[in-house]
Amino acid sequence: MILSALNDYYQRLAEQDKVPVPGFSSEKISFCLVFSREGEPLQIDDLRDTTGKKPQPSTYQVPVDKRRTSGIHAYPLWDKTAYSLGVCAGEGKRLADEHAAFKARQFSLFGESGAPDLRAFLRLLDQWRPDQLAELLGYSDDVMDTNVVFRLDGQQQYLHENPEARRIWVAALESGEGIPGQCLITGEIAPLGTDHPAIRGVRDAQPSGASLVSFNSDAYESYGYSKNHNASISKAAIFGYSTALNHLLRSGDDNRQRLQIGDATTLFWAKARDAAHAEAAEGFFAMLNDPPSDEQEAAKLGSLLRQVAEGRPLAELDSMLEADTQFFVLGLAPNAARLSVRFWYVDNLERLARHYAQHYRDLQLAPMPWKGVAPAMWRLLYATAPSRDGKAKAEDIPPQLAGELTRAILTGSRYPRLLLTNVIMRMRNDGDISGIRVALCKAVLVREARLAAHSNSTTQEVPVSLDPHSTHPGYLLGRLFAELENAQRGALGNEVNATIRDRYYGAASATPASIFPVLLRNVQHHLSNMRKKDKGGLAYKIESEIGAIVDGLGDSFPKSLGIEDQGRFAIGYYHQLQARYTKRGNATVAEESTQGEDA
Amino acid sequence: MAFGIRLHIWGERACFTRPELKTERFSYDVITPSAARGILEAIYWKPAIRWCVDRIHVLKPIRFESLRRNEVAGKLSERTVTKAMKEGRVDEVAYFVDQNRQQRAATILRDVGYVIEAHFEFTSRADDIDTPGKHLDIFNRRARQGQCFHTPCLGTREFPANFTLVESDEAMPFVDDQLSGERDLGFMLHDIDFADGKVPRFFRATMRDGVIEVPPFEEALA
Repeated sequence: MILSALNDYYQRLAEQDKVPVPGFSSEKISFCLVFSREGEPLQIDDLRDTTGKKPQPSTYQVPVDKRRTSGIHAYPLWDKTAYSLGVCAGEGKRLADEHAAFKARQFSLFGESGAPDLRAFLRLLDQWRPDQLAELLGYSDDVMDTNVVFRLDGQQQYLHENPEARRIWVAALESGEGIPGQCLITGEIAPLGTDHPAIRGVRDAQPSGASLVSFNSDAYESYGYSKNHNASISKAAIFGYSTALNHLLRSGDDNRQRLQIGDATTLFWAKARDAAHAEAAEGFFAMLNDPPSDEQEAAKLGSLLRQVAEGRPLAELDSMLEADTQFFVLGLAPNAARLSVRFWYVDNLERLARHYAQHYRDLQLAPMPWKGVAPAMWRLLYATAPSRDGKAKAEDIPPQLAGELTRAILTGSRYPRLLLTNVIMRMRNDGDISGIRVALCKAVLVREARLAAHSNSTTQEVPVSLDPHSTHPGYLLGRLFAELENAQRGALGNEVNATIRDRYYGAASATPASIFPVLLRNVQHHLSNMRKKDKGGLAYKIESEIGAIVDGLGDSFPKSLGIEDQGRFAIGYYHQLQARYTKRGNATVAEESTQGEDA
Repeated sequence: MAFGIRLHIWGERACFTRPELKTERFSYDVITPSAARGILEAIYWKPAIRWCVDRIHVLKPIRFESLRRNEVAGKLSERTVTKAMKEGRVDEVAYFVDQNRQQRAATILRDVGYVIEAHFEFTSRADDIDTPGKHLDIFNRRARQGQCFHTPCLGTREFPANFTLVESDEAMPFVDDQLSGERDLGFMLHDIDFADGKVPRFFRATMRDGVIEVPPFEEALA
């Protein structure tokens, strides 16, 4: 399904002339050697794009038959300098062989042809001496080890664009047909291919490219088939899927169809009525995954998602987004020289948008810990990594988690349980109870409760904002802990070396019965301290709040809290702490007025 | 359905590996006919009969999960084995898993349930004493009692299959609502043509309200 969807995508791209035709591939070319009709080399043209800081090679569609690995294999009418010109920067042990292979290939392909351009090219190869290169006009050391194409002096087109050369090349490709068999992508009987091009651009995979289809150990082979014969895929389909994949993975800022989620390079594409609708859908999805930082744009997306969540059809909100647009999401992760499919997801745009809206709604927490719609998926994932001085590193994100979270968001299924345990463990370890982490806890619990709703469980709803009526012990203890911290802060100020949160958060959330009695005893000191410092009003407020919370708890503290309750603990803690900040304006006014009465 | 049987199978995990994504395993969406045949053969098979899968009922929504495992990178070569047979000694017939390992990723199915509808045909090795009723009775009796030659599995040996016979007068198990409608599952492996050079054959699988019609093997060559 994956490969056939990619092959379909190739057909659509080919109709729009966005991808090379069979037998050709987009390669990075830096220079062009110009030669005369007599086969004399004339000059070197620089084809690089020099608009940026560093000159970048340009992309040309040149003839390629198979991927070059360790063996010697020359390409027609273009190649790197070691092959095409017999020179390279290093010592080049195989230099002579490589250049000979290049010459031999050109002669065997084009030796019979009478086209004057090709004849001149062969004359050039015949007379060429590698030391000539340095004397040519336009030569610089940059030429070494780059890819070079050829052009006859006075011609507009490069030699590999010559129609006669192309005709000969395509004919040569077709004559080397493989064994016929049933292709598992198209289902047709066609010549089966064995050369799968490298897939380039997956992060952390080998830069020269990795394979999606490969059989590099004999443990993967079956029924006596060797290597790539194990997958019966036709030559045309191999070219189609690999070209589409490389097109999706192309580098450049204009590529909005690729995003990085944990270690998975994620690609997506749409199949709609026409190219414009497909592009609109792809743009919309890109925005869902990385909500815009622009406030206006974010507000627009937010209201759109809210309406989608309420059940309004997508097409009604934006005419370019059609509900039945098919949407494909592919997550690739590297594993040595191979690529593995982390996730694969096909659905229509309407359902996809609904799942995203649901995801954002599940994350909703009041007061909002972020600006805009909600953090992008990669930011959520950073919250699961250890925070060192408020910063997290991408490589600390558990790779499995990234894939499973994406799957949960895309399909609207349960978030991985690992997410909750991981976030709670992180909060206990580094004491960073950030809004994003609490929101993740809440999202996991809310979604689980909703999906379990029909299974008769009696879980309490997880509140979005502070819920003073909740009787859930985890939630109440979280609130209590926040108030105890408030008391400490009120008594000792903000400059405490190790607050009770730094010291006791982990223990308080896991084994309340052993910690809270101690903390409640200490809070009396903090309260009396505050009263001495003329903060009687605040002390009274905190004391009554503590009283109210303890009242709701019943007659004993729970001995231990399960992982789910620890999630509630974090939510309660966050709510209660934030309530103090949001009400501070009113609170200080109230404080002053009580003091006024005292005086 | 005189010769037909219906077998309900289910399991926590399953991996019906696609041939093209076999190294970094990726499962088909549902059980393939050849995997279903393997399950039937695990319960009852004789040289005189050949199982043919007619229909696959998918009972549970298609859910994926990915994981990484350490697996072996090689296998014993045929030569080692023939040599050992010739010489009559087995000291070289060994494979040390800890010395030849590969880490491989697998995207597998979670929580699957199917009903396989199948019948059997006689092969050229059947003779006068092989009657349809006899083999059908043996299969039904074995399936009812949970007997099998080896533990049937859902694609790979790591994922065992539970099974129970659906009696001919019994109703079909419940099919999840999420499976209603028509879904194209693409080309799927039907089986390997063992009679003719071990060539794989594929068919276009379409699921309608959870039911996949499996064409006869001869027609699979689309």
